[in-house]
Amino acid sequence: MRQAATEASMPREPRDSDRHNNGMKRTAYRTTARRAASVCLVVLGLVEVATAYAWSLNVTAGARRLFLHVGNGTVSGASGTLNAMPTTNPTVNRVEVSVPVAQLGNGSGLAMTSNSTQSISLYGDGHNTCPTPASQVMVGAGFRRNSGSASATLSVASPATLINGSGDTIAFTQISWTVSAPGSGEPNVIPAGAFNGGTQTLTTLPGNTYIENCHTFSYANSVLPASGTYNGTVTYTLTAP
Amino acid sequence: MTVWRHLFWAALAWLAAGHALANPQRLDDSLSYTVPPSVQMQWLPVPRGRSSASDMEAWVRVNIRIETRDWVGRSGRIYMVLPQDEVSSIEAVWTTQGRLREGRLVSGERTLVFAGAIPGTTLEDQMLVRLRSNADWISNSRRLNFHFELDVD
Repeated sequence: MRQAATEASMPREPRDSDRHNNGMKRTAYRTTARRAASVCLVVLGLVEVATAYAWSLNVTAGARRLFLHVGNGTVSGASGTLNAMPTTNPTVNRVEVSVPVAQLGNGSGLAMTSNSTQSISLYGDGHNTCPTPASQVMVGAGFRRNSGSASATLSVASPATLINGSGDTIAFTQISWTVSAPGSGEPNVIPAGAFNGGTQTLTTLPGNTYIENCHTFSYANSVLPASGTYNGTVTYTLTAP
Repeated sequence: MTVWRHLFWAALAWLAAGHALANPQRLDDSLSYTVPPSVQMQWLPVPRGRSSASDMEAWVRVNIRIETRDWVGRSGRIYMVLPQDEVSSIEAVWTTQGRLREGRLVSGERTLVFAGAIPGTTLEDQMLVRLRSNADWISNSRRLNFHFELDVD
């Protein structure tokens, strides 16, 4: 017993007698040393693991957002952030024109008026984008997203015709618009055009952009319709994949 | 066998010495926590027109508690570290209550938050951290693993 205790506490050099006469002891010695080394290394490893604590935080990217207004609308968040809670402004503005009998169908275009009162930008910086809203409709669109290359698409859908109470029609292609944006370097960021009686793409928006300008509508007056009040609704849509 | 035995003990001594003395020493701040525990980045203003800008930011309060028991009275410098977790970098800017230094850190770097003699068994402070980055992350969420490390003088 005493010899065993001594060997355990003070490893000794193997003697010749160990090498030549006691192979079992030599094996035990090597095993003990390897186990000791393993234990030490494991302990050192555990010390490293035990001190590997640190403060950490889960972070989510900004939420994907689409913002669209046509005419009267509501600012979304602080200036230019589009950060506000998503809402829908139910306002549908009206653009109209009365054609004098003497000018019916003479091909001279007539400016249309608007009941929109939105002159100040919905970007939220107070810019007077549409100084004469009675003849303009402000259209703005914004798209925010994290990474990726996909763009949002601004489109407008118009029915084939405007229609009166008697079922008479006027082709929607009679209505067109010009664009402006005082003080902007890109007044035609949403281009001018004419309705085509279907769905047409106006422009695309890369991620994290905001575009806005004023649309002034006119009636071509190149057809001779039956008398009456003709109505039709166009719908602007902003979509992102 | 003498050679092997000497090598064995020398290796152990080298490992132990290396662990105790090599800089930097990673510190345990497992009792630190953030308020709130997770955050969502908020969009910063986007410029008008076609020019794209995609900055976003978030604010978080961090209650810091760093274990320094093993280093009391020793002189050194403590750094806050934010490893690079993806190509898109995060910038952290923080203020403190005064125990630690205010500073700025970009992922992949470290910034000094304390220098001098370690005064006690813990270093505690509260940070108000602003995180800011571009919206060019690989995924929509990521985990930021800050830690502290000590360079002993």
